[in-house]
Order: sequence, then C-alpha cells, then structure tokens
Amino acid sequence: MVPTSYYIALSGILFALGMVGVLTRRTAIMVFLSVELMLNASNIALVAFARSWGDLTGQTAVFIVMTLAAAEVAIGLAIIVAIFRKRETTNVDDLAAMKG
Amino acid sequence: MMIAFILLGALTLVGGVITIAAKNAVHAALGLVGTLISVAGLFATLNASFLAATQVIVYAGAIMVLFLFVIMLLNANAPITGRDPIPFVRELAGLGGVVLAGSFVILAVSYKDPLPLAGATAALGGGSASVVGETLLTRFLLPFEAVSILLLVAIVGAVALVQRPVPQPDDVPDNEPELLAPPVGSAISRGGNQPALQHRNDEGEVRA
Repeated sequence: MVPTSYYIALSGILFALGMVGVLTRRTAIMVFLSVELMLNASNIALVAFARSWGDLTGQTAVFIVMTLAAAEVAIGLAIIVAIFRKRETTNVDDLAAMKG
Repeated sequence: MMIAFILLGALTLVGGVITIAAKNAVHAALGLVGTLISVAGLFATLNASFLAATQVIVYAGAIMVLFLFVIMLLNANAPITGRDPIPFVRELAGLGGVVLAGSFVILAVSYKDPLPLAGATAALGGGSASVVGETLLTRFLLPFEAVSILLLVAIVGAVALVQRPVPQPDDVPDNEPELLAPPVGSAISRGGNQPALQHRNDEGEVRA
C-alpha cells in the first residue's frame, strides 16, 4: 500500500507547477488552465487524507470542489468571451485597466 | 500498487508540465486532459471509485470540452510573443515553484498516518457512490444544497454575461431606413432568430 506522504508530495509538486503556470502564462485562458491544475493538486491531497483518516469527509469535499470548479469555469470563460468581444484580446498584460 | 502510483504520478506531472509549457493552447489543454485522467487513476488507487468516475465525466469530459471550445472560438491558440513587461518573471516564478514544491515535499515526508492504513482504507467502503452519497446527503446536506444554488447562479450568470442585446423591430426609428438592413453576421450570432430577420427584410422591401 502506497504511503499517504507520497501522494501529498505529488500533490505539492503539481500545485507548484500550477502556480508557476499562473505566474508565467500571459493568456487568460492559460492562466485558467493552470488554476485547474492547482485545484486538482488539492483534490489529490484531500482524497489521500480521506484514506489516511478512514473518513469520507475528504471525498465529499472533493465532490464539492469539482462542482465549484465547474461553476468557476463557466463564469470565467463567459467573462473571457465578453472581454474578447470588447477588447479583441485575452492577454492579461493588456487588461490592466484596474491597475491590478 | 506502487507501480501504478509511480506510472500515474509520472503521467500527472508530465501532463502538468505540458499544460504550463506548451506554446499552443490546444496542446496545453490536451496535456491537462492527460493530467486529469491520471488523477482519476490516482483516485482509484486511493479507494475513491465514485470520485474517479466523476473526475473523468465532469472534468475530463465536460469542463475540458468547454475549455477547448472557448480556445477555438477565440482563436487563442497562438502564444503571446514579445517582451514580458515584468523583468525575470520566468526565473522568479520557477524559483518560487521549486521552493514551494520543496517545502511541500519536506512537509509530506514528515507526515505520519494517524491510523493503520489497512484499517482506515476498509472504513472507506471502497468510496462507492452509495457511501459517498450517504455522507453527502446527511452530514453535508447544507453545503450540497448551497452548491446546487451556486451552480444555478453560475448558469444564469454565464448566459447573462455573453448575451448580446437583442434588437427589437419596434425600436428602429422610421426615419432611418439604413438601420433596417440586418447587420452583417447577426444571423450567425443570433442563431434561431430567422423569423425576426425575415420580418425586417419584408419591412425593408415594403418601404422600398
């Protein structure tokens, strides 16, 4: 049986990969894909901890995270499409009108 | 079990690297599909069979189709070239990622299982749909209902965000006949609105 710590290490590396993607990619869609990577990393950790404690709470949390991700993607992509119609770009460097 | 973990873990990381490094956005999305399916396999090795199935259906199926659809709709598969406005952002992000991954690995190595793993695994009941569903509809009923409302709001919000104002035939002023001509491309964007267009065309002909 694979120890829980291996799964947690894998989840941490995947999360760091997603973070690097969020910081370096410059298309809004690619930033979104990297956020999905980070969400999946956290899901691996939740399921691994659920097995470690013999408790289904972690698996239930993953189910809710998946639903949240679906809602986030629907709204986020709608916002990207709306911005693209107005500005003809999804480059996050050009979308700095709010100085954020 | 260990071999399955190593293979799936390697596939997960390779997919993740493709996702963040691919020049073409479609390739990146396909790399993410590989990661998502490998994560489903990892769920299966963790006795979460229902979540493994949900991961494939919801994530690798529905969400990725939405992503690919938007990438192709916006024609956004070409990378953004040119100088990055933030100096050394790649180097700094890579350094931060290495530090973060290293700290996670150190934390993970120091983690000790609170229970014997075999007994804890047996308590999960295989993570089948019936046990997960029972937990979801008893202990976590309120979050479950809250998330369903959130999904409803997300559906309405997505439609409201991308909706274009539909011009009404009554709104067109009578003294500007050039407005009666249907704008180019409007028939494609407002699919299924052919009767309205037909009506306006008829009006134009009557006026001419």
